[in-house]
Amino acid sequence: MMDNKTFIIAGIIVALLIGVVAVFLASGDPDGLESTALIVQGQKTLTGDTPPDAEIHEDLTGKFSYESPMPDYALGEEMGPLGGLIAIIVGTILAFLIVLGLAYGIKMAGKAT
Amino acid sequence: MHIPDAFIPIPQGIIYWIIALVFVVLALKWAKNEMNEEKLPLVAVLAAGIFALQSFNLPVSMGTSGHLVGGALAAIVLGSPFAAVFILTMVLIVQGVLFGDGGLTTMGANIINMGVIGGFVGFYTFKGLMGMTKSMPIAGLAAAWLACLIPSLACAVEMFIAGTVPLREGLIAMGLYHAIIGVIEGIVTVAAIYLITTVRPDLVDTGVKSARGAGAS
Repeated sequence: MMDNKTFIIAGIIVALLIGVVAVFLASGDPDGLESTALIVQGQKTLTGDTPPDAEIHEDLTGKFSYESPMPDYALGEEMGPLGGLIAIIVGTILAFLIVLGLAYGIKMAGKAT
Repeated sequence: MHIPDAFIPIPQGIIYWIIALVFVVLALKWAKNEMNEEKLPLVAVLAAGIFALQSFNLPVSMGTSGHLVGGALAAIVLGSPFAAVFILTMVLIVQGVLFGDGGLTTMGANIINMGVIGGFVGFYTFKGLMGMTKSMPIAGLAAAWLACLIPSLACAVEMFIAGTVPLREGLIAMGLYHAIIGVIEGIVTVAAIYLITTVRPDLVDTGVKSARGAGAS
């Protein structure tokens, strides 16, 4: 049986590999919700292809808007796939660290009381 | 099915946030009471894995792509729907804040759909089918498929309430796309459960061990 350290390392390597492959192989087609929005806006049919110039019109009146530091898992056009790789690696490691830290913190706090 | 800020008016977003927070608090309680220290690495590795898997958009034809959600996987492997709420909430925070994938005012709705509904549907479908069929692949596949499909329908209803998408069109489109995406979700979920139970059978709950039969590990 794998010990904890090996399990963590193996798990992170698998996660990073999935993320790295995703940067190059992931489909650029809109996801289910975006596709649905495009259908409603008359830019696409239910079963048809998505036109390359299709863009979701967002009505921002009464809505919140926020500019994230790495929108769409990329660091801008000029960075290209490298930006995507950095974004995915940062995100994967952060997800790991935040959950580990929080879970560990909760356990420690639980013990202290 | 990450809902962006532009798709839900702020007041509705706040209501979803309040409902979501109730479950997040319960998930933190789960982490405090039910999660033993042995499981910490699994919880964190699952978070990293689910984040990576969610970035992998696979083509599902019809000009649409989809990725794994992971709610069923987290709930099944850790033996509680609150595990899914816990992990998916953290993943959604990283995605929303850093990458703009899913909005901030809509994060409550996203937590409800993928974490709460995905986690509960995935967990109880798996538990029920495990009892009936004793087969992890069948129970896992069905659980993950439903845990992808049902949240997408909930999302369609929320889009209708928000006035963004008409109900019928939303349900048909979201249901159709996620019925296909759910098949991918099912296959990856079963593969991941198999992999984790193979390397660390001690970490996995919910009768998965017995499913593989004595001596299978």
